[in-house]
Amino acid sequence: MLLKSTVNENERVMKTGELILIIDDEVQMRRLLEITLSANGYKISEAATGKEGLNQASQHQPDLVILDLGLPDIEGFDILKRLREWYRNPIIILSVRNSEEDIVRALDNGASDYLAKPFRTGELLARIRVAIRHSKVPDNNPRLEFGNLTIDLDKHLAIKNGEVIKLTSTEFSLLALLAKNAGRVLTHQYILKEVWGFGQIEQTQYLRVFVAQIRKKIEDDSSKPALLLTESGIGYRFGI
Amino acid sequence: MKKLLTEGTDRTAIGHYLIAVATVIAVSAACYLARNLIGYHVVSLTLLLVVSLLAVFLDTIPLLVASTLSALIWDFFFIPPHFTLHIGSTEDLLMLAMFFIVALLNGILTSRIRRQELRARQREERTDALYQLTKELLVANGIEETVSVAEKYLGQYFKIGSVAIVTGEDRELQVCPADFSGFTPESKNLQIARWVLQNQVKAGRFTDNFSDAELTFYPAEGGEKVIGVICFLNPVRTAPLEEQFLEACIALISGKIERELLSLVAKDAFILAESDKLYKTLFNSISHELRIPVAAIIGATDTLLSERYPETTRKKLYREMSKASVRLNRLIDNLLNMSRLESGHLTPHPDWCDVHDLVNKVTGSLEQELGLFSFVTVIPDDMPLVSIDFGLTEQVIHNLVLNASQYAPEGTEITLSLRYDKPGKLIISVADQGRGFTEKELNNLFHKFYRGETAVSGGTGLGLSIVRGFVEAQGGSVHATNGERGGALITVELPVNASEINSE
Repeated sequence: MLLKSTVNENERVMKTGELILIIDDEVQMRRLLEITLSANGYKISEAATGKEGLNQASQHQPDLVILDLGLPDIEGFDILKRLREWYRNPIIILSVRNSEEDIVRALDNGASDYLAKPFRTGELLARIRVAIRHSKVPDNNPRLEFGNLTIDLDKHLAIKNGEVIKLTSTEFSLLALLAKNAGRVLTHQYILKEVWGFGQIEQTQYLRVFVAQIRKKIEDDSSKPALLLTESGIGYRFGI
Repeated sequence: MKKLLTEGTDRTAIGHYLIAVATVIAVSAACYLARNLIGYHVVSLTLLLVVSLLAVFLDTIPLLVASTLSALIWDFFFIPPHFTLHIGSTEDLLMLAMFFIVALLNGILTSRIRRQELRARQREERTDALYQLTKELLVANGIEETVSVAEKYLGQYFKIGSVAIVTGEDRELQVCPADFSGFTPESKNLQIARWVLQNQVKAGRFTDNFSDAELTFYPAEGGEKVIGVICFLNPVRTAPLEEQFLEACIALISGKIERELLSLVAKDAFILAESDKLYKTLFNSISHELRIPVAAIIGATDTLLSERYPETTRKKLYREMSKASVRLNRLIDNLLNMSRLESGHLTPHPDWCDVHDLVNKVTGSLEQELGLFSFVTVIPDDMPLVSIDFGLTEQVIHNLVLNASQYAPEGTEITLSLRYDKPGKLIISVADQGRGFTEKELNNLFHKFYRGETAVSGGTGLGLSIVRGFVEAQGGSVHATNGERGGALITVELPVNASEINSE
């Protein structure tokens, strides 16, 4: 499901042409990304090593970084940490490493999103749009709309098909957190910390029960959720 | 019967003298009481009979005592004049001499026969022992059992304590049993064993070499070279004849050790051949599986680059390339999963899971394949959260559903059911309406590289073996049968925890 605002965003991107830095040691991968991304209106800069990547990031201040974890010179997670010491814009990890541990670790270390290679370019573009939108526009709009669902952050209300949905306060906090970060994956630990104030991963049982409850209330078919999506072993993503 | 052959000679010798004297005195006394009824000549015959009978039981010297004693008694008490050794008539003197000679001959001949008999019995016992040893060695499996058989028999016959067998090359000696008390690494005993291996002579206690050791070492000869050393703890000195027997036993045990070592070599060779076969199968099936999609991609791109084709053709080619890539990616996933399994480092990470998520993930990735079928999911309304490894279980369901979609005819129904069985069991089953399994397929289904008898082209035969691997890694089991209304039915059982939290 695409968000209405995202489509508008896309049009805006075409005009401004954000700069994306690609840090990947595989020529073929850089070429594919360069072709795809410039065809979608982005400006591209490329780096084949971690060192070069860090240099370019500080020189050009890109709007987004696409980072491969398996670079020849510096460990991917180290680059991520070193970038995050000063770099505030989104970093999307694009790696062949697809274990849940790696993904969670990258997200917990400041990555904005994670895509495993091989990936669908359509999906990559969507993730890039979401990441840039979240970094550029501070979300001041209290009314978030997702198809037939409207979430009013001011009035603590969720409205589906014009009718107010009954939600407990925890359910609403959880739904609001996910909706404010629509399109982004949030790890279990992050959600637990934000909503319940603790980060024990053992508590994911509660989280899942709440998710199941919210789905019953907001989804058209709760067994085939279209809004509140599971990222297995990692967390949840809302809206895309 | 199986006593040491020389055991207890002292005690039986005294017994023999007592029996000899007592029997002679008793019979003489009886004859004395009856002297008025029988003549003294009859008494001599009676005593002669007694001595002959005693010869059957007694050793030579007690028998001589019995002969002499009975001659004296006859002379003293029975030959007139009584109560004196003096013999009146020449006839009686001759009688006494003959009595004595007959008794002696009788005794000597009998005991010679008995000695021969004893020797025959010893021979028979040894033959029997060798036969038993051969028989038990034949069934013994491995060096360890050989050691215990050797210990049992040699212990019985030679009062030998424990037995150890040392095998291997110069620097890498293996002692069996491994915890044998006499061998610590680089102990003197190990050095002697090494010396015996090199010099091919026996050594240790009661031998000419290293006679101060507490063990005796015999070289185990196999064919032309020494293949090991047989060591005895608490050996006893053996008579030359017994030494021969012991060496025969050692030859037998050596033969067994040789066979065991050879079978180890053969086993290694077999494993090598098997893995070679496996490698070839893997190579053939995977090189095929890799080449076909790559060929499709190369062919399609070549056509596309020539730019002579209408948009509809180009679209079709793009679609083919996309399909080929998905197929390649699937193969790589399978290979990686297989190698995860084979490496033995697969540790499941169970976490709470809503099984709907599992199903959605699988149906999402198999959207294209399932589009050709009527796909039904059955999950009870009261399904609890279960604690499972999401990734592994997803792959299991993915492979099962993909398999069904490859074998069942298009347009038929594929049913995926999940349910929770108290206590602690997640049951996943995938049923299709294809032709089901043949007997042969049911036996081989989960074997690596096995392809069904009507397998569609493509596929490596890895899918179901990965299913089994991932299920077993989580402590579960998987069964294949034919459904009640035909069609294949594969059922997976996983031990799980179910959530007791109720959010209502």
